[in-house]
Amino acid sequence: MSRRRVVGALLATAAVVSLGITLASGMGRASDAPEPSATGPVTQARSGTAPGLSGRTLTGAAFDLTTLRGKVVLVNVWASWCDPCRAELPVLAGAQRRWSAEGLEVVGIDIRDNAESALGLLSELGIPDLRSVADPRGTVAVAWGARGVPETFVVDRTGHVRWWAQGAVDAAWLEERIPPLLAS
Amino acid sequence: MRLRRLLLLGVAAVLLAAAGAALWRSAAPRPETAHSIADQLLCPACQGESVARSQSPMAAAMRDTIEQQLAAGRSPGQIRRFFVDRYGTGVLAEPGYDGIGILLWVLPSLAVGAVAFLVVRQRRRRPAEPARGEPDTAPSPRTGRARTWDAVAVAVIALVAVVAFTSPERGNTDRPARAADATSSLLTLARSLEDQGRYAEAAEVYRDVVAQQPDDRTRLRLAFTLLRSDRAAEAATTAGEVLRDSPGSTEALLILGLAQRATGSPDATATLRRFLKAAPDDPAVPEVRRLLAKS
Repeated sequence: MSRRRVVGALLATAAVVSLGITLASGMGRASDAPEPSATGPVTQARSGTAPGLSGRTLTGAAFDLTTLRGKVVLVNVWASWCDPCRAELPVLAGAQRRWSAEGLEVVGIDIRDNAESALGLLSELGIPDLRSVADPRGTVAVAWGARGVPETFVVDRTGHVRWWAQGAVDAAWLEERIPPLLAS
Repeated sequence: MRLRRLLLLGVAAVLLAAAGAALWRSAAPRPETAHSIADQLLCPACQGESVARSQSPMAAAMRDTIEQQLAAGRSPGQIRRFFVDRYGTGVLAEPGYDGIGILLWVLPSLAVGAVAFLVVRQRRRRPAEPARGEPDTAPSPRTGRARTWDAVAVAVIALVAVVAFTSPERGNTDRPARAADATSSLLTLARSLEDQGRYAEAAEVYRDVVAQQPDDRTRLRLAFTLLRSDRAAEAATTAGEVLRDSPGSTEALLILGLAQRATGSPDATATLRRFLKAAPDDPAVPEVRRLLAKS
């Protein structure tokens, strides 16, 4: 009788534990993404080699990220149909101007867009020279693991991704992360 | 008593057959298509929606990635690995076979096994009881309790079976999924024709797909390719049908407006203005404004 009770108690415990694990893993999945901070984009430190980024730019020039090895590269995923990108693109162009002498390069990935609208937006914002790779099907952005627009990846001088931001970055965000990488 | 036993055996046989059929259906090897792979991935930009169903641009990009990789000869397993490497295991709609994922598969099986073990043990004990000197005539309270448990168990199994067979999901996952498999290759063909600028041919393929799967997205592709192959009147009809079914579709408004403009319809301006009002952030807005300013 007592053996039966022990078996029963064990089974009940197993049932509760399995239910708990199932619920916990489900909830863990739902809250996988980091909590958005009060200000600025959701940011994660990253490591690992940057995925490939090559193709034609919006103006038709050839581009290959590997030729920028030795520089800090800010890769920004954007599109002309994305509203927050309008405010972010001039900030990125400003960063390019400010830190280019120290080795910063800004490259956009313009996803699921047509080149005409994208170039239209850039010239409307007064930054027609901001270089972007055309990614009409969005497959390059997927290879980078982007989840939406805008998103920013910062690649260090050795070709490793160091930061990943979901949402528009601002001057303060760049000020905090770019100079240390340029100094290293 | 014999009749009852036969009945129970019959129910058990039917349930076993159903379980066998279900297992066969899910375990039988089926060729994986871009659609079936996308169906097993969760869109990272949206809550709980599969990549196959989501309308978000990122999900569309992921679908294109799957097609591109299949075309490049990568296996479905390699493609899933590609997405897990970038988006984590949370991108998989089903838990994996490693780490905590294996627990999610094993624990329910263990629970079923444990219950079966208890039931068998209970049944084995029963014949031994009268030998303990209890009178054989009246059913003991233990036998009564065991019968209640049997009844509850059968009721639970019956309930699960009824839910499984009558739930609306069942109809949805069987036939339309197969139809989608068959049409997804046609859709790929149509899209590639469209990419090459062969709009008239693409329109014919889209028309075939629409005959089997008249969803808004495909009908809009049909309308768009008709418009690009100078069949604006047909394009207007198709876009008009989509708009009737989904009055909120701004893409349908845009194609209808452009098609009306191409046929010289006086309604074109009003339709395009409605589009501008409904979708002020659409990439087509500057172009539409230019057209309206010209006319």
